[in-house]
Amino acid sequence: MRNALMRGAYLLGFAIMVMSLGGIQDARASILKIQTVKSDKNITAWLVEDPTVPVISMRFSFQGAGAINDPADKQGLSQILSNTLDEGAGDLGSKEFQAELSDHSISLSFSSSRDDFGGSLKTLTKYQDKAFDLLHLALTKPHFEADALRRMKDANLARIRSNMSDPEWLTARLANAVLYNGHPYAQNSGGTLSSLPKITTKDLHEKFSTQLGRDRLLISVSGNISAEELSQRLDEVFGDLPDISTVRQVENVTPPAQAEVIQYVKEIPQTVIQIAYPGISMKDPDYFAAEIFNYILGGAGFGSRLTETVREQKGLTYGIDSNLSEMDFSSLLSISTSTRTEKVGEVLSLVNAEIDKIFQTPISDRELVEAKSYLIGSVPLGLTSTDRIAGMMMGFQIYGLPANYLDIREAGLNKATKQDVLRVAQRLLDERHKTTVLTGAKQEIGPVRYVENIPDIQ
Amino acid sequence: MKLKPLQFGVLGFCMGILAFSYPAQAQFQKVFGAKTATLANGMQVVVIENHRAPVVTHMLWYQVGSADEPKGDGVSGAAHFLEHLMFKGSGAIAPGEFSKLIRNVGGNDNAFTSWDYTAFFQTVPSKYLPQVMALEADRMINLSLADRDIESERDVIIEERRMRTDNDPQSLFMEQMRAALFPNSAYAEPIIGWRDEMPLLGRQDVMEYYKAWYTPANAILVVSGDVNFEEVVSEAEKAYGVIPSHPYPEHIRSKSPDFRAETRLTLHDEDVRQPTLYKAWLVPAFLEDKHTYYSFEVMAEAISGNASTKLYQTLVVNRKKATSISLSYDGEARGQGSLWLYAIPAPGVSIEDLEKEINTAFREIVGNGIEEQDVEKAKTRLIDQALFARDSVAGPAMVIGQALALGATLDDVENWPQKIDSITREDVQTIFDMYMNPEAPKRLPVTGILLPAEDKSK
Repeated sequence: MRNALMRGAYLLGFAIMVMSLGGIQDARASILKIQTVKSDKNITAWLVEDPTVPVISMRFSFQGAGAINDPADKQGLSQILSNTLDEGAGDLGSKEFQAELSDHSISLSFSSSRDDFGGSLKTLTKYQDKAFDLLHLALTKPHFEADALRRMKDANLARIRSNMSDPEWLTARLANAVLYNGHPYAQNSGGTLSSLPKITTKDLHEKFSTQLGRDRLLISVSGNISAEELSQRLDEVFGDLPDISTVRQVENVTPPAQAEVIQYVKEIPQTVIQIAYPGISMKDPDYFAAEIFNYILGGAGFGSRLTETVREQKGLTYGIDSNLSEMDFSSLLSISTSTRTEKVGEVLSLVNAEIDKIFQTPISDRELVEAKSYLIGSVPLGLTSTDRIAGMMMGFQIYGLPANYLDIREAGLNKATKQDVLRVAQRLLDERHKTTVLTGAKQEIGPVRYVENIPDIQ
Repeated sequence: MKLKPLQFGVLGFCMGILAFSYPAQAQFQKVFGAKTATLANGMQVVVIENHRAPVVTHMLWYQVGSADEPKGDGVSGAAHFLEHLMFKGSGAIAPGEFSKLIRNVGGNDNAFTSWDYTAFFQTVPSKYLPQVMALEADRMINLSLADRDIESERDVIIEERRMRTDNDPQSLFMEQMRAALFPNSAYAEPIIGWRDEMPLLGRQDVMEYYKAWYTPANAILVVSGDVNFEEVVSEAEKAYGVIPSHPYPEHIRSKSPDFRAETRLTLHDEDVRQPTLYKAWLVPAFLEDKHTYYSFEVMAEAISGNASTKLYQTLVVNRKKATSISLSYDGEARGQGSLWLYAIPAPGVSIEDLEKEINTAFREIVGNGIEEQDVEKAKTRLIDQALFARDSVAGPAMVIGQALALGATLDDVENWPQKIDSITREDVQTIFDMYMNPEAPKRLPVTGILLPAEDKSK
């Protein structure tokens, strides 16, 4: 809501959530009833059927077909493909295709992450024939017409130039370049000012025809559609895609060899701070303990140790939080905040002190119970709309988790002990691989490596 | 996803948020099917039953915002500062405890402040609704603030301002645009306050405002989710009904005069890389003229709703003068409304030429250029949005609360599709010609031009 200021930075950051406190439930049904639907052509989708809404939401993803495939001199190719797939297909030109979507209130969008290429479709049930037909056309007969390509390149170039005055964006770019130096993840998935103009229609056709195959396709659906109906739709929409596709093979990221503070100097009143440690995979047996640890450290927002100290007691920031994130070849524990220039040193010391405290005064029984209570109890908050449910299921599939993951997670969280949490904290808070990235004016905070230019913007 | 670098639109109050439970809707069924009651102390209660997940959103809206702060006292931002301090404790609840209690039952909470309203909300497992009501009712009357908390939280909101505004030349420029657009209105002031006035905020500023405005008769309770109307009203009677209402001040919304000289703002900033053109017009808001409000909603959707509509097709696709262009209407205000245009020039096009081309395109629309089919399609899209509106729990509470807090009625919200449907091509043409004719607009727009630093070598 543009006309309103939110109090916390966390409003829509609701972590994935679902229910029931304390593990004293009797034998009960699954939290989320996911059906696996398989079509005649052997295309599989996860479905949560909900006949009470006149809406169908679908997510689909081609695993490994994301920006990691972009050539270094054509960074942004995957992004441009996502922008141009809905710019005309089959008999419909760009304007006609867009009009067909909007005239039927269909939301169709494609997107690219570093790992994957995918998209989402949301439609009223009354327009579903049209919606699935348009998606099928986009995935089989896109035009990639020169004029549409030019418009999308120009729009992306304008976006980059607009972002260049945004210190949070600059910090994210710099962190990316430092953490993933030498790996395809270091590239700018949104493209650069020099790479975007090099992308051609031929590049789009090539990526489109070689990387988007059924062998790497994941699908999740929620809303007013039955398993039988969906099964047919799967063949209609995705049945004509190639069986086999090829993507780049990539190594896991090795964490930076040494702890370091890196700063991009910019004369602004507030410095943006991002701290990163190597993270933990959701498939790791210690992941549930890591979720608890992260919640207590900084994931909770209000009530977390970092927020209590840095914001509530000291008034040094509007927001400080920690976050576990995962990609196919890397995972991170990151801490993000911002503070006025003269307080950067103090904030960094306070963060260090809180990290030491995790080991010196280990978490209390109460902290453990409260963390579990939130992490388990808040799950239903994420099950309130079809697109959220479809998105949650896609997350499980992308990370290779089973359909009953919410049940497994609840049991795992319930079982975690203080010792588990301490062990995982020791594992994660590895000071040898701590990277601190700053954007802001210079100040005295000890050894800093200053960078003049952030890579992969120009 | 199409790129829209800045989202201007506050969507109309029925749009945009989520979806519904009428299996096959008759023409113009009520949007939410909400039920309402008024407690003996004058507080309105609205309930939207939605049983898809065992979750409830509880929102308390105060019909007061930053535009109701005292004028001429040399401070600004008291409304938003109070919103923050509402989390700093009552006699019974310790500072910061409110949010922790919500977290501990698996819920999330937050709050926001606008020029015209302030809202506090929690989403929790539905069985905790009575406890949440008790907490919210407590802080309506028992706010109790320690000096230490006032001091530290003032530092927090100043950091918030640095993050949102002072660190970003685009935000600073938008702040000045508003100040120029509303020269005789409290809407000129940023909700968060002016940079130099925020440090002067003290206990008296917030407590006088709190005592004047925070009272049941000036509040609206909106509850959405897995609840029963009668039970909610009965619980609300227990929690809120026992609080006596006191009289509260009138809302004063002064109008800005029709100045005869044009206002143009130009900023060259060394951090800016992307030239951008803004225009803003003062136009009627909902309370001032409902028919005009609906006409503007349809107009903005008809000519700028998506990539197949006239402004994008004319200026981006056909004439290649812009990389992006969008027009959005903000009529959700107790005082005057506004219409905002945002455009980025195509490569090689100067801001001056872009502005001329936009004026040319507008002149072509004046008289007879609004097309019947564009209006009809826009109406269909807007009405379809109402069908999506209930695929959510928090969304309906947000939409209804905002509308009522601005002085609209529940019927206005529920009958929104019918009102949109009643708008004709002529209505849209009339308001376009009246307000947007570049030759003779009813009010001159404020024009803003944001540019990179001037090349000193020239």
